[in-house]
Amino acid sequence: MTDRPTKTSSDLQRLGKHFTRFLLGIAIILAILELFLHRHGVAPIEDSFMFPAIFGFLAFMFIVQVGKWLRLMIMRPEDYYEGDASDD
Amino acid sequence: MTNLPPGLLMIIAAALLPFVPHIVRQIVMLGAIALSAYGLVLGFGTHLVWDVIGFELVLYRADSLSFPFAVIFHIAAALNVIYSWHDKHWSQHCAALSYAGAAIAALHAGDLITLFIWWEATAVTSVFLILAAGTSTARRAAMRYLIFQVLSGVLLLAGAAMFAAKTGSITFGSMTLGDAASWLIFIAFGIKAAFPLLNGWLQDAYPEATVTGTVALSAFTTKLAIYALARGFAGTEYLIWIGAAMTALPVFFAVIENDLRRVLAFSLNNQLGFMVVAVGIGSELALNGAVAHAFVHIIYKALLFMSMGAVLHQVGTIKASELGGLYKTMPFTMICCVIGAMSISAFPLFSGFVAKSLTMTALGDTGIMWAYFVLLFASAGVLEHSGIKIPYFAFFAHDRGFKTTEAPLNMRVAMGIAAFLCVAIGVFPAPLYDILPYAVDYHPYDASHVTGQMQLLIFAMLAFVVLIRMRLYPPEIPSVVLNSDWFYRRLAPQIGRPLLRAVMMVWGSFLCQMQEFAEAFWFVIDKLVRSPAAGPTIPGPAALVQLILLLAVLLIGYVAAIG
Repeated sequence: MTDRPTKTSSDLQRLGKHFTRFLLGIAIILAILELFLHRHGVAPIEDSFMFPAIFGFLAFMFIVQVGKWLRLMIMRPEDYYEGDASDD
Repeated sequence: MTNLPPGLLMIIAAALLPFVPHIVRQIVMLGAIALSAYGLVLGFGTHLVWDVIGFELVLYRADSLSFPFAVIFHIAAALNVIYSWHDKHWSQHCAALSYAGAAIAALHAGDLITLFIWWEATAVTSVFLILAAGTSTARRAAMRYLIFQVLSGVLLLAGAAMFAAKTGSITFGSMTLGDAASWLIFIAFGIKAAFPLLNGWLQDAYPEATVTGTVALSAFTTKLAIYALARGFAGTEYLIWIGAAMTALPVFFAVIENDLRRVLAFSLNNQLGFMVVAVGIGSELALNGAVAHAFVHIIYKALLFMSMGAVLHQVGTIKASELGGLYKTMPFTMICCVIGAMSISAFPLFSGFVAKSLTMTALGDTGIMWAYFVLLFASAGVLEHSGIKIPYFAFFAHDRGFKTTEAPLNMRVAMGIAAFLCVAIGVFPAPLYDILPYAVDYHPYDASHVTGQMQLLIFAMLAFVVLIRMRLYPPEIPSVVLNSDWFYRRLAPQIGRPLLRAVMMVWGSFLCQMQEFAEAFWFVIDKLVRSPAAGPTIPGPAALVQLILLLAVLLIGYVAAIG
């Protein structure tokens, strides 16, 4: 391996840290705004404190977790369909 | 000349493409698209009708529903010409231009027979974009794609024939699900709209097409189906159920898919779900939402496919497990991809936000809360696979040490235009709202809506960061994800082959028995008819034929005599 990929890897790590801080900054601003803004939704539950944030966070976690379980059922090797006459 | 159906000029121009040199060819294509678009100035109304065997074929009908689709189809066709400018061979250009032309002509079909003709034309022209990839995998996927597309057309034709027999009309207008004709037409539209279990062709074939072919494919077929559903079945409640399933299910498949163009195909399916739900609601606001969503979706989905196509073109792979770290070598492509990702995720100031919120508000108005929350959940799913996974694994993630350069200039120009449109529509939605089917009094940028959407997206992204930091995000693995195409690619042959073998054995045995019976029969006949009258040299069968003919003559003579 040359030096260049190593530098890119460290750059990627630094970028990741900056991006995380950026996201946290926006998240804090949104939480503060929630205290002052009257946010209203279609369903009554949407009016509860930081509902979209909690919903988004949990939905994302759920999707990834279900994806992991789904791998056990529907993931096959890359050549699963290859060389199979039934695929013709 | 202007009362020619829009799109027809593009098909005529496509026929000329093999005979003109490269650069002239591209100019001819752009000229044909511009002339076709100029045909839209005729305005709304019925502009061309043919009387054929007692039926009125309405070749050119324009109204407020067809117009926005026609506008965006022309834009998509032009973007595709620019994106594929570097391709010096005529074949893909010919296929792409005629495909776009057929789709645009289909939008202006005022009757079911004309619709059927263009419906099938889109199938026949687009399949060459998959075949052009030149691999055996692509060839097989193309054949499966063609079977589904043609099946859709056959169902449409059967439905149209039954509809005509029942009503005496072939007008393509609003229908009510009930009789066989309407169901056949509904399923025909459903195949092209990639309804659940009818969607296998999409994820199977689109990622196998060429770099430029996938961009063209992503724009027309499925959105033509959305248009057809909006025209024929607006307000059909089944569509809310179907659409909700379409938004939610592909999300899980996209998480574990390794081929990033296939991830986008799952994402396409998910986005179609939003439009199908909107059509199912059927209110003016919802139909505006469906059309607006289709409009912006064509641009940002094309942009995402273009950026992934650029990666494939430069690096030679599009598998997440092999990609990463390209943000330094392909910065422009990365920025365009991120703009497409933010648009599809519906970040405020991007095009997805101003379109998707119409559908969500319309759905909220109906009070169907379960569907509302399914779509809200699917919005987080869109962010996962298209908003994060696509740009993250292609341009960031791990450094794979690729030594490459930016995509060709023409690709960057096309991506730049699409990215500009994504932002422009997001910032100034008024021109888009002005061309929607119904008058819009809707303002997406209120503080409540913006902060709610930002909370959803930012905290979902934080969930991603948490998963990555804790190494809980599933690593990309070279693999195949089974989809509904598994039923006919694997299950049907596995069940069908033994079944067919058994049937053939029974049939073979039956044929043997019949042969033995026939031999015995002719043996008896031979014995019976071997008489002086028949003569020893005339075989039994010949004598029997003579006997039957004689009886027939006698019978005819008898009937004639008593008549």
